[in-house]
Amino acid sequence: MGKEVILSLKNITKKFGALVALDDVSLDLYKNEVLALVGDNGAGKSTLIKIISGAIIQNRGEIYLKGRKVDFASPIEAKRAGIETVYQDLALVDSLNVANNLFLGREEKVSVLGGTLKFLRHRYMEKRSKEILDTLGITIPNIREQVKFLSGGQRQSIAVAKAAAFGKNIIILDEPTAALAVKEVGHILELVKKCKEEGISIIIITHNLEHAFMVADRFAVLRVGKKVGERLAEDTDIDEIVKLITGGTLVKNGKDGSERKIVNA
Amino acid sequence: MNDRTTKNIGNLNNKSIASRIGAIREIIIFGLTVGLFIIFYFTTRGIMFAPATLRIIFVAVAELGLVAIGITMLIIAGEFDLSVGSISAMGALLAARFYQMGVNPFLALGISLIAGIALGGFNGFITVRFKLPSFIITLATMIGYRGLIYVITEGVPIGFRVIDTHPGFHRLLTGMLTVIPIPLIWLVVGTVILILLLNFRRFGNHVYAVGGHKETARAMGININKTKMICFMILGMLSSFAGVMRVTRIRSFHSLQGEGIALLAIAAAVIGGTLLQGGVGTILGAVLGTIVIVLIEYGLIMSGVGAYMYNLVLGAVIIIVVILNNVIEQRRT
Repeated sequence: MGKEVILSLKNITKKFGALVALDDVSLDLYKNEVLALVGDNGAGKSTLIKIISGAIIQNRGEIYLKGRKVDFASPIEAKRAGIETVYQDLALVDSLNVANNLFLGREEKVSVLGGTLKFLRHRYMEKRSKEILDTLGITIPNIREQVKFLSGGQRQSIAVAKAAAFGKNIIILDEPTAALAVKEVGHILELVKKCKEEGISIIIITHNLEHAFMVADRFAVLRVGKKVGERLAEDTDIDEIVKLITGGTLVKNGKDGSERKIVNA
Repeated sequence: MNDRTTKNIGNLNNKSIASRIGAIREIIIFGLTVGLFIIFYFTTRGIMFAPATLRIIFVAVAELGLVAIGITMLIIAGEFDLSVGSISAMGALLAARFYQMGVNPFLALGISLIAGIALGGFNGFITVRFKLPSFIITLATMIGYRGLIYVITEGVPIGFRVIDTHPGFHRLLTGMLTVIPIPLIWLVVGTVILILLLNFRRFGNHVYAVGGHKETARAMGININKTKMICFMILGMLSSFAGVMRVTRIRSFHSLQGEGIALLAIAAAVIGGTLLQGGVGTILGAVLGTIVIVLIEYGLIMSGVGAYMYNLVLGAVIIIVVILNNVIEQRRT
């Protein structure tokens, strides 16, 4: 492909007791691309992104970020490495305002009395929040508004903007369009494209293949813990992806024979 | 929810109202405070606001307020502490007991404060370490700490006539600075420090985040347990200090000291706009809530209505304020 690989997963295996959640999964993420990670419930998508974002640790396999091997012991380490994750329901604190949410966990401080006391730079954070949102074309009337009073779309925009602002390398979006009104989905998908234009690589998990096709450059399909296919968006269509997800034709799924055929096809 | 959503987009009028609403809670409680002042001015024919009465009122405000601001911070962080009355009594007991043994009262105060931090810290440790509801844990320690007090005192009061030997100590805790009661100054100091901590420091941001949505805070890399522990410990210290202040003023420790403070302090927080589910509340609101509670108590007594009415009226006020707050919240959404 000639594109620069930013993240490389090699032979990732994760077991929860007897359950094999991920079985020898290898996957590359290229710079400046949107990769849609799709699969049925229990296919291992969530486990995979949690491994990438440091929330859980694989039993076997390696992760390379820009060619260098990384071992994330916690989400904080992944964040430091420039990988931001927007989880479905863990993105924002309802009772905090927009600016405080954007800067939560990485607040800007000013030192007084020779560094003995550090105070928050509220004004600065509010100004920066405006800039961050403006860059991505998000309009929030009032940056001091508690996010619980914003619409689902606005909240999701803020969560994505937060990831984009601080995820220097990669942002991972877990079902970003799941709880949104139809009208708002378009905004979020636009936002994903904008983030890509900003030079960020994006992994997006979604059950909605139409949405995935609107933004993704490439698809990786998981089924019961195995990667069963990778397709460029331009070379495939919803039918083929659905077949990969379900294993064979929609009707005849399940048994080994038919699965293999599709995988190798 | 989504209908509301689309309606709100681009509706700029929402913005100005919404941004002011944060303050509306405080305006209500401030209005309530002023209203009570006016009502009681007339019903007591002005006696209520004679300098001597005001002094008593503000000392009472300070003693309850120091606990109320601390418990407000803890409630914002999403936890409870019912044991503050017992902690404040323990602080008072230790100060009195060590003083009785010949220890300098300033040193005794230091021991009390450390004990307050330790007792609050124990509440916090059990709560976060075993992931248990602080309501239950501190219900147990409220009983347990009080039990420890009885074990130590066997119910016998302990004199604390520090005014005779160390008038400076007495003055520092309960004296007057010209016309201002010094306890009130302590409350102002505590309030300013907690406001700085909560609203102008990173720690405060984390307190609001932890109480607002624990798991999100965790995902953002915030140390939830540490944040909560610090809140428990600060509250323990403030409670202990309030207890020492009270025993200095009363000049004698009784094993019942501080009973019922926890619920009054929580009431002050709630009247001041703090939400019990965490994430929302202000220190200033807690101070105003405290003033309301104390005004009701003294106002009713001095109006000649009688002390028996106090709890009834206070209960009604809490319900009314909570309903008002709720209505405001609903209006917004």
